[in-house]
Amino acid sequence: MTASAARRAPGPGRLAIQFGVAFALAMLAMGVIVFLVAEERIAQRIDDALQVHVTKFLRPVATGPASDADVIARIQEWQRRKMLSERTYLFYDATGRLVAGRLDLAAPQPGYSDVTFMGGGRKPQKGRALATRRPDGSLFVVVQHSEAAASLRALLPSVVAAIFVSALLVGLAATILFARLTARRLAETQAAADAIAQGDLTRRIPSDRLDGMFAVQAESLNRMLDRMEDMVNAQRQFSSHLAHDLRTPLTRLRGLLTAETAEADRVRLLERAERECASIITIFDALLRLAEIETGRHPSAVRDLPLRAMLEDIAETMEPVIADAGCALELGRLEPVRVRGDADLFNQMIVNLLENVVTHTPAGTRATLSLEQAGESALIAIDDDGPGLAEGERDRVLLPFERGKGSGLRRGSGLGLAITRAIVRFHQGSLELADNAPGLKVRIRLPALPDAVPAA
Amino acid sequence: MRVLVVEDDAVIADHITACLGTLGYRPERVASGEDALAAVERQRFSGMVLDRLLPGMSGIEVLARMRAERRLPPVVMLSALGTVKDRIEGLAAGADDYLAKPFDMDELVARLNAVTRRAAPVPPPDAGLAVGRLKLDPSSHSVLFLDRTIELNRKQFSLLAHLMRCADRLVTRGMLLESVWGYAFTPTTNIVESNMSRLRARLEELGCDPIDTLRGSGYVLRSERCR
Repeated sequence: MTASAARRAPGPGRLAIQFGVAFALAMLAMGVIVFLVAEERIAQRIDDALQVHVTKFLRPVATGPASDADVIARIQEWQRRKMLSERTYLFYDATGRLVAGRLDLAAPQPGYSDVTFMGGGRKPQKGRALATRRPDGSLFVVVQHSEAAASLRALLPSVVAAIFVSALLVGLAATILFARLTARRLAETQAAADAIAQGDLTRRIPSDRLDGMFAVQAESLNRMLDRMEDMVNAQRQFSSHLAHDLRTPLTRLRGLLTAETAEADRVRLLERAERECASIITIFDALLRLAEIETGRHPSAVRDLPLRAMLEDIAETMEPVIADAGCALELGRLEPVRVRGDADLFNQMIVNLLENVVTHTPAGTRATLSLEQAGESALIAIDDDGPGLAEGERDRVLLPFERGKGSGLRRGSGLGLAITRAIVRFHQGSLELADNAPGLKVRIRLPALPDAVPAA
Repeated sequence: MRVLVVEDDAVIADHITACLGTLGYRPERVASGEDALAAVERQRFSGMVLDRLLPGMSGIEVLARMRAERRLPPVVMLSALGTVKDRIEGLAAGADDYLAKPFDMDELVARLNAVTRRAAPVPPPDAGLAVGRLKLDPSSHSVLFLDRTIELNRKQFSLLAHLMRCADRLVTRGMLLESVWGYAFTPTTNIVESNMSRLRARLEELGCDPIDTLRGSGYVLRSERCR
């Protein structure tokens, strides 16, 4: 998309036409249904009326059932009173000859039927007839001129057309209006997005003039932008820290290599140079590992992990290391909890945390490793009684290359806790550093597997 | 022992061939996958050091071609791509071991040594593992020497078992972390050293001290000290 196309106010597009047509078609369908129902009801009422009149004209006289003459007399009586009516009464004798009534119509079949006759001798008219065969073979017929139904039908095409056109217009208008209103609300979002694309990461979508879903969307986008700004800042921070952490050993290395050195000291110098190389390599290894975990490129074999056995195994491995540093590792309560996870990453997570005890606490520190089921979580706790971390430092040390103020000797890559946090995130868990008064309390919560389900 | 070194970086290739030469290997150097295929066609090699990123044909393709032609010697693959995934790909393609650059020459030699031996018949696993009069009992995690027995913890036991299987050969820390601990990460503390010192202390209780530390590189279990 070109810049000018992006800036042009967006029209309602195909949406308006699609919506208008859909609305019109829906109205059309509704009109047809209403018409069909109305016609059905009218036909039913005509049939009911016909039945009423048949009963009325064939009603018995005082001496018994009405004779043909009685019925004919009733027809003629009615004809005298009414010159114009939407009904006509006819009487045919047993041979089918019309003996009473004024309508040019051949005797219809008994029962209900649709008939056509010449009304006033000029044009054919349609009607509804109810014919009743009498015991002596004569036929009494009531015909209702179905003008109402006919006029209703005649109305249909124009009504349908009117409904369709007006629904189409209303639909289009509503959509265009809706699109305009939507576009106006989206304009601010668009402006903010353009500004951010230009590099202004602090820009946010003003949500005070928005309501409903637009406000919700703006807030959600703003949250995303907050997170992205954090990430970009973290990335910048990360790059500058990385440059610093690499320059330091590189500078020392160059200093060593360019220094005037006596022949006898050469071996020692080379060893120191190699140590500086090793520390650069350590940083790169850790960086690679961190990137691998964070981007999900770690080839992970996720399976059920029996945490108790794994922690016992790690404690067995780390106990001599911690003891050699003059500290002590104790096993607290270890409940049998299982989680879904990657064994290699889990091992690294716990080893990293225990290595921090070795690296960042003085001799004599006691650390305790424990595991319990806390609700739906496996809660792994590593507590020590070392110097701990100040309130403000606890969040900071989780970031790459951030170290606690106390750690004067800069051992390690500075990425241990960042890797630990990435592993915790990989397992959808949470990592918390707290005050152990004195010392540091590390809490890892991972979603635990339910007890009853056997290992898959 | 003839070893083919396939590496396009002249400095690294010089370093490897010079080092292997002083250790009694007969290294032959080529700089591309195509030359490597031609070389294995001419003669048999007991081992190969293969760089993964080569100009033209990649190390992975070289492995595939040699495997198809049934001319694949035991291989240690070298690569600047050091993630776990790259390693798994290399091993899946037919490499016997995988070493990320930058590496230590001792590490390379130890691993080359291990893979060329691996081509020879492998001794049966743990059951009744013995070197001289030093014997392991896997069922009770105990170790026997002469008439004395001590129990080891699981880590010490696996550590000793691994050293015994590789008796008289250099085993580096990296190799131990991979095969005894199964860790794919690099710990920052001396996990191997601390556990090794515990193991050696336990073995001294038995009156047997067969493990030598080679400074900076690793450990060797000497079979003649188990008699």
